[in-house]
Amino acid sequence: MKPQEPIPHNYPMRKLNLIFAVSSIGLLLVTGVMVFYDYIRGWKWYQLEFNRLQADRIEQELNAANDATTRKRLAELDAEMKQGQVEIAKNRDQYLLVQKELDDWEGQHYAADQDYRFAKAKLDAQRYQLETSVLQHRADSAQQQRTYDAMLAHVNELNLRLQRVTHDRDAVRARLDRFLSRIKELEDRKKELTANIDLFNKQLGNVELASKRSILNLPMLDFINPTLKIDQVVLGDLFIDMNYMSVPRVDRCQTCHRAIDRPGFESKKEAERLITELQGRLDRNLIQPTKRADTEDRIAQLKRIVDAKQDILNPFRTHPRLDVFVGSASPHPLLEYGCTSCHRGQDRATEFSRAGHTPASLRMLQRWEKSTNPLFPGPWDYKKRNWGFAENPFLETPMYPRQYYQAGCLKCHAGQMEVDSGDEINKATHIVELYGCHACHKINNWRFTDLRKPGPNLDGIGEKTTPEWAFRWISNPSSFRPTTRMPSFFFQRNMIGPAVPPREREQNIRYQNAEIHSIVTYLFSKSTHRAWSSPPNGDAARGQELVSTIGCMACHVAQDTVKDDKGVVRVARRDDFPLERNYGFNLVGTGTKTHASWIYNWIRNPKAYYATAPMPSLRLSEQEAADITAFLVLQQKPRFMQTPIPPVDRAAVHDLAKGYLINTMTDVEAEAKLRSMPMQEQLVYLGQRSIEKYGCYSCHEIKGFEGLKPIGTELTIEGSKAPHLFDFGFVHEYTHEDGEKQHILHNVPSWVYNKVRSPRIYDDERTKPYNDKLKMPNFHLSEEEARLVTTVVLGLTKEKVAANRMAAADPRLRAVEESRKVISQHNCRGCHVVNRNGRAIAALINDPNYLPPDLTPEGGRAQSPWLFSFLKDPTVTKIRPWLHVRMPTFQFTDSEAATLVGGFAADGSQTQFDTMRYQTVPQQNAAIGREVFAMLRCSQCHSVTPVDPANPPLPNAADSQSLAPNLTLAKLRLRHDWIADWIRRPDEMIPGTRMPTNFPRDAQTGGFQSPLALAIDTPQFAAHKAALLPYFQDEQALRKTMADAVALTNYLRDYIWSIGIDQMRAPGSGPGAPLAPANPQTPSTPSAPAATTIARR
Amino acid sequence: MSLKKYVTLLSALSLTLAVACGGGKEVVDEKELGTDDQAAQTAAADNTGGTAAAATAAAAPVSADAATIGGVVKFEGAAPKMAAIQMGADPYCASQHTSAVNDEEVMVGPGGELANVIVYVKNAPTGVAVPSTPVVLDQKGCQYHPHVSAIMAGQPLEIRNDDATLHNVHAMPETNSPFNEGQPVQGMTSTKKFDKVEMKPFRIKCDVHGWMKSWMVVLPHPFHSVSQPNGTFSIANLPPGNYTLVAWHEKYGQQEQQVTVGPKETKQITFTFKG
Repeated sequence: MKPQEPIPHNYPMRKLNLIFAVSSIGLLLVTGVMVFYDYIRGWKWYQLEFNRLQADRIEQELNAANDATTRKRLAELDAEMKQGQVEIAKNRDQYLLVQKELDDWEGQHYAADQDYRFAKAKLDAQRYQLETSVLQHRADSAQQQRTYDAMLAHVNELNLRLQRVTHDRDAVRARLDRFLSRIKELEDRKKELTANIDLFNKQLGNVELASKRSILNLPMLDFINPTLKIDQVVLGDLFIDMNYMSVPRVDRCQTCHRAIDRPGFESKKEAERLITELQGRLDRNLIQPTKRADTEDRIAQLKRIVDAKQDILNPFRTHPRLDVFVGSASPHPLLEYGCTSCHRGQDRATEFSRAGHTPASLRMLQRWEKSTNPLFPGPWDYKKRNWGFAENPFLETPMYPRQYYQAGCLKCHAGQMEVDSGDEINKATHIVELYGCHACHKINNWRFTDLRKPGPNLDGIGEKTTPEWAFRWISNPSSFRPTTRMPSFFFQRNMIGPAVPPREREQNIRYQNAEIHSIVTYLFSKSTHRAWSSPPNGDAARGQELVSTIGCMACHVAQDTVKDDKGVVRVARRDDFPLERNYGFNLVGTGTKTHASWIYNWIRNPKAYYATAPMPSLRLSEQEAADITAFLVLQQKPRFMQTPIPPVDRAAVHDLAKGYLINTMTDVEAEAKLRSMPMQEQLVYLGQRSIEKYGCYSCHEIKGFEGLKPIGTELTIEGSKAPHLFDFGFVHEYTHEDGEKQHILHNVPSWVYNKVRSPRIYDDERTKPYNDKLKMPNFHLSEEEARLVTTVVLGLTKEKVAANRMAAADPRLRAVEESRKVISQHNCRGCHVVNRNGRAIAALINDPNYLPPDLTPEGGRAQSPWLFSFLKDPTVTKIRPWLHVRMPTFQFTDSEAATLVGGFAADGSQTQFDTMRYQTVPQQNAAIGREVFAMLRCSQCHSVTPVDPANPPLPNAADSQSLAPNLTLAKLRLRHDWIADWIRRPDEMIPGTRMPTNFPRDAQTGGFQSPLALAIDTPQFAAHKAALLPYFQDEQALRKTMADAVALTNYLRDYIWSIGIDQMRAPGSGPGAPLAPANPQTPSTPSAPAATTIARR
Repeated sequence: MSLKKYVTLLSALSLTLAVACGGGKEVVDEKELGTDDQAAQTAAADNTGGTAAAATAAAAPVSADAATIGGVVKFEGAAPKMAAIQMGADPYCASQHTSAVNDEEVMVGPGGELANVIVYVKNAPTGVAVPSTPVVLDQKGCQYHPHVSAIMAGQPLEIRNDDATLHNVHAMPETNSPFNEGQPVQGMTSTKKFDKVEMKPFRIKCDVHGWMKSWMVVLPHPFHSVSQPNGTFSIANLPPGNYTLVAWHEKYGQQEQQVTVGPKETKQITFTFKG
């Protein structure tokens, strides 16, 4: 056989083998590196580090629990136990005897039990025999019946025996237990004492065990049950949008944020805050007696944290608001809500950058960027706080930066006016509502729909002011009133800013002036010109007094400067005042803006000027209105009217009007059309187009623009838009109009913040035709306002949650929310506290006794029918005659009033209708109540006779009519059960109330004490005692009742009910009723003003 | 050192022996350091506890060296005329006075002495035992007696109604818990306590009788006094030392003076308020 010839190859085999060898080794190495890389995840290092931290903490807690006092008490208990055992030993014989007796009885019990059970089983078998025999009509059925009866009797007998034996055995057992009870009790006490120590030891064992079991953390072995593993919660009905489908969230944040739901790892700063908060609640007795000890322990733990040498850093810190978030007892427990449902971020990611951490500021970004992604992550990264951050513009749901955390609330709480403990988001949504963001930008969720337009109706502008004023106002509203909510549309950064070339700037100024002229011309040409009657002579000083006392200042501000902390006077800002006081316009310059006749008629009946005016009627008399008018006319800003108004620039009007016309016709046609139009007509045409361009009609009712869609971008899901959908322009940093430097980071929060802060900023460095430039007006928001508005915008997302996770979903809470919307829209919180919030007027009234009532308990307090009448017409009953502040007549529609009444009732968990009013009180109860009433001297403040209409009580008088509500009104106004509750604990219901606590709580038991318990036997009450005795069995029964605060308050309530009047007059009738709403007026032409005056009642 | 074992095992498998080893060591070191710190801390905590206890023990008895600060409060300028209180709203109150009663806001004696000024030591030693004798606030003739008072935190305040009319005691502190209790029965007393120091004087008022006002300050020590109608005040049992003396008047505000008292010394101080 011929040796096989080597197969010829076109390539050298040896070399190839070498290549194969090298590449296979290389592949092996790469595989190794891949496994290794997969293995050394950053989060593992965090977990190791946390175990160490945790062991430290537990040891610290252990030391605290195992302190000298505990050890001493344990030693004492041990000694006592020994004593007990000695005693048992002493009575050993007796003990053994009883033990033997018990053994004997146990045996008997067993036998009796067995006998009974067997007999019962046999009886069941016999029952079957009997039934079949009867069913089959067998001859032996009678016999079977007899056997069955005999067996039944036997079973009953055995049962009786068993019961007897059981009883006897239990008696013996009890005797034996008596010997052991002391030892048992001591053991229990010891267990209680050492429970904490045992727990800590067990925990410590777990943490240390983790290190022993660490072999399971090795690569390949780590599929078994490693101690370092990803920690996750699956959130079934909180979805994350994965493009085209929503999937349940799986939050893995606790993989690194180990202690997020575990108290004990707070930062020092947080610990200090919590100590103050908890101590305050302890001091104010807001913590239930059963929880006091726990709270004290927690404070001690927090104090140890403050004293510890090292501060805990993130990611290991405890959530700062465990009472609200992630705590197991909080409304948002970790297992149900996770983290990303509020914070956003990529739920499944376990790396810093991929999870979507977003820097809050440029400084933070720079710090994060300094630390690059490490090649080999390890504990040194934790030391250096090196997280390997890299900006990722493709993340769909990055986390909210720190300053916008509360944006996360809106997803589930969009159906609420206010979120509990959400102070920031509540203020933010209020700002959006008040400043009217929703008017230009549609926001399709309940909170921001069906709201009134933020600006006044302009149909009658010609009656109110002059074109000269209007021109200057539109040019620069904040120069007239620095706190105004009207934004600046003209002469903004992109028109006249430093970046605009000089020639273009000049043209922009001409164009802007032409636009303002045209808008003013349009508005005044369409305005009605009703004539308003002139006021009688008024006294300005008295007017000023009225303005500051009757409640105007709850909604208005009357100053354009404020003194800062250092006493330096500076221009006022909106946020120098509560939001409620920015509801009405700033009264500064009212006399410059308008004239006496308009003011006089407006304040007497605002709805006559336009029917939807937000201003209510304060039922001013002619003289009062005249006085206030005299005061307001004096509010002048003469320098504002000296700013020059440039003449109408015909060329500019022509250019701009043509610019619009050529959209629909040729250049030649447009020129011809313009030539045919006189200047006035051109101005009206341009005015209409300019109003359309700037969207004035979104905030104001303007004739000719009814039903138009708002101008701005819809914001319903703005927070979910990706960064590439925003035009960042070319700016990265700029100088704000305040003079401070601002940075724009390449993320959505930063874009939105800078947009609302400086709306035209993204036009910087850009070349755009005049009409294409950005149009959003400048609201001159402060940093804080801009941050809050941004929070709302970021919170408007397309993320969905299941219906059961939406807040305030049930009908009762819906009713409350609907009423809160009416409350917000009518600014009730300017005067009243609602749900523990509001009463902006408080800053202006020194004596808290003269503040309008706190409505927090109103739902449980007021009867719905009375409340409805009162809301419709507050003059039906005067409850608090001592107040200077007047409850205005809002001219609520029936539907609004009913919404309010229903909301209050729902808030107090009450029904709107009840039968209590028709109940008659037992005469005896009323009589006892009358005596108690006299003994407690209630009549010193409360009148019990109906108000004399001819001589009504006056504000600030010192008689009994003017200290407290007249009680004859109580039956009409108050809920039956509320009265007694209120008398018992007034200060708990309304802190700071004038009503004194007559039944103070006992410091130990928390029960109510009665001042009459001892006083009833004193000589001063002898007559009352004699009067009361006939109603009681004997003196003892009387004394018992006098010491019973609940019984006494119920008698008081019965007495109050018995003196109540049953009728009130119908709303809208009688003296003091408000003026009728808007009187239809015939508009007259400006050339021939009619001399009609507004009819007054 | 199980951690070290773990790290060693890991490094044997990995290619980065040197690096991982270094890291492991760091962790271990830190742990040891942590334990030491804790021990030191516990020791420190024991120490502070000890000193505090010692201080309390030392300060409790009145020292033989105790000094006294006395003096007088003067008023300069024309004394404002106080309006007469209109007690007509409650006939009982009016019946308790034979002559017109003036508002007690500014009470100046014939020689220009200012009464109702609270004088207290600002930086007194703490840890002095709380007196168990109560401060009494009496309501008599529809007026508060005394009109101003100082109390030590934790000291009982006995409020008494000597009138056969309803008074409500409405205390409006900011730091302590406010209260508002009715006292309808003549001879009734309630005992209250202010647990926290409140240096800013707060009002106690009666809502039934609008003119009734009293002022109170809660101090961390018992070294205080109120100027009498003859303007004098006296603070006794004060340990020797440097003190800042504060005088507060409800209308004329606050004044301070530095005082140094030696053992058993008695110093006379004069405060002058200008009208």
